[in-house]
Amino acid sequence: MPAIFGRWIAFVICLVAIPGLFASDIWTGEYSFNETYVGNATVSHGQKRVVDFDESDTEIRFVLTPRIPLGVLRLGVEYEQFSFGFEGSALLPNTLQSVAAVIGLDTQIKNSILLRVEAMPGVYSEAFRTGSNDFNMPFVIGGTYIVNPDLQIAIGIGVDIDRKYPVLPGGGIRWKFQPHWVLNAILPQPRLEYEVSKTVTLYVGANLKETNFRVSDTFGTDHGKPQLNHAVLTYSEVRTGTGLDWKINNWLSVNAEAGYQPYRTFDFYRANFEFDQDSSAPYGMISFHGVF
Amino acid sequence: MRKVTLLPISVPALVILMARLASADPLSELSSFSVFDKVDLAQLASGEPKTAHGPPLNNPRYLSVQSCYVVPGAPAQHLEALRRWNPAAHRELKVILHNDIAGSPSEAAFVRIKNAPETPPVRAFVEATVKMANDLQLSRDEAAKWKGGDNKLSGAVGDFWMGVLAGRARAFASGGTSALAPYDHAGNSIRAGDELNGLLREQPKIRKQFAGLLDSTGIGRGGGSARPELYSEMINTDDIAAAALGAFYGRNSGVTAQAADTLYYSSGGVYAALTLYQMWPVDVNGRASTLVWRGDMVSSAALSGLRGVEKLASESAMMKDVAKSITVFRRDTAR
Repeated sequence: MPAIFGRWIAFVICLVAIPGLFASDIWTGEYSFNETYVGNATVSHGQKRVVDFDESDTEIRFVLTPRIPLGVLRLGVEYEQFSFGFEGSALLPNTLQSVAAVIGLDTQIKNSILLRVEAMPGVYSEAFRTGSNDFNMPFVIGGTYIVNPDLQIAIGIGVDIDRKYPVLPGGGIRWKFQPHWVLNAILPQPRLEYEVSKTVTLYVGANLKETNFRVSDTFGTDHGKPQLNHAVLTYSEVRTGTGLDWKINNWLSVNAEAGYQPYRTFDFYRANFEFDQDSSAPYGMISFHGVF
Repeated sequence: MRKVTLLPISVPALVILMARLASADPLSELSSFSVFDKVDLAQLASGEPKTAHGPPLNNPRYLSVQSCYVVPGAPAQHLEALRRWNPAAHRELKVILHNDIAGSPSEAAFVRIKNAPETPPVRAFVEATVKMANDLQLSRDEAAKWKGGDNKLSGAVGDFWMGVLAGRARAFASGGTSALAPYDHAGNSIRAGDELNGLLREQPKIRKQFAGLLDSTGIGRGGGSARPELYSEMINTDDIAAAALGAFYGRNSGVTAQAADTLYYSSGGVYAALTLYQMWPVDVNGRASTLVWRGDMVSSAALSGLRGVEKLASESAMMKDVAKSITVFRRDTAR
């Protein structure tokens, strides 16, 4: 059975089980399942080109958000898998995977300021291997200043010691500037949203993704470039598109999005070896998410 | 028989002394039912009100915020000021109209709704009425009374709401929230009285603290022995105006005072809301003052879909609104 069907079945089981398992208001939480397909594209490094490969990006996230006196705990798990349709000779891994715990806290430090601290300790590697110890623990610290219910300003940093620049700033604003119109310009997913109704929202926006993975101990040797053995690969991509979010009920929303991917790099930055985008492609995404 | 010797003290002084003893430790009492373990009276008297999240509530529709502050004067003065205060004078509090209802709530008592300013939220309210939108919180019988017309607030729309508000206010005056029709014109049946009871049931310490007052009101029950002071408001809820009805109850023990202010009907935004006040006499730097605990609790459909940080953010926004309201009130009453 193809892997993607296995993931879909796991998702469906999760979807059916959630309302029954967590009907109690004590066990509140959130979940999401996103599947994105990107059409054939090309990347290059000098004369070396990797042509006509497609991409499947699967993300599953399940986070419990129990209330404690200090605020809201965030405890859960996140899985992501990029699958690329490379030819065998490509100097890039076909699969990049991560499975990480989500451990965080949302708390209030003033009437108007919310603080989030969240770490995602886990394995970030090329396709999982027995005994894989490619452990990393990226984390974010961010604050949101609630000016009023219509305007919030967010600012924060993301820390990842495997990244070329370990500390990067982030943030943005969420501004409901007109009835039905929201500028949700907070990285990494800035959007302009139009609330068609209480259950349907249309948007245009972008998604900036960047994750670091370790390739295997023999990846370089296997591909004729030993300096890439156990190297850190930073995979970055930007998606720009338009989408629709339909809230069926509190615990189930369906989100469909389509657009174009204008930017993508595979960067073994410590080995000074990078594949940049040569040509890109349209993408489609479907997501199921909700709270319970 | 042993002769009891009275202390050389005047009767008024004795009354005052007994009163002080009866409320010997407002801070202990405050910490016994609220989330405030420690407060600094001098700091409260000179600074901003202190606000905090209420206890976590299991029902996702509910939200609770607590605050405390100090005002000059006795509790009875503060109770009277609360009774008289008109929040509509302050645009930032999002109260478009406020109207005290004297005597029997006839339709004529709500005629001011026809003169509401034509702001975008009010226009949205009129549009929702014309379409008899599902978001409007009405009973089936009330919704059936909408027959259309000139689609103006000064005309048919205003007439319709005057009828709805008068009917609801009369029902509350005669039989408390138990006499109110449910919101059921477009789906699940929700009763304001059930929501108010649910909010109090989840905060038993507060329920116990205010039992004496609440049991004499129509809040979450049939009409009580206490006489409510009724009012109507038009409020701005998330870019659409809502027509609302409220009732204020006050009780002055001679030393301490309590008040309950409930929004027992709203055409949208909230199902029901309740604000409770506990007031104690305190001495701050030699000045007679009142320590006030305020508990704001609300039930709203809009909250039911929020979890985690979104719920936290809603509470923060509500805390800011409450703090703003207290600040404006203190400024007004200090004049």
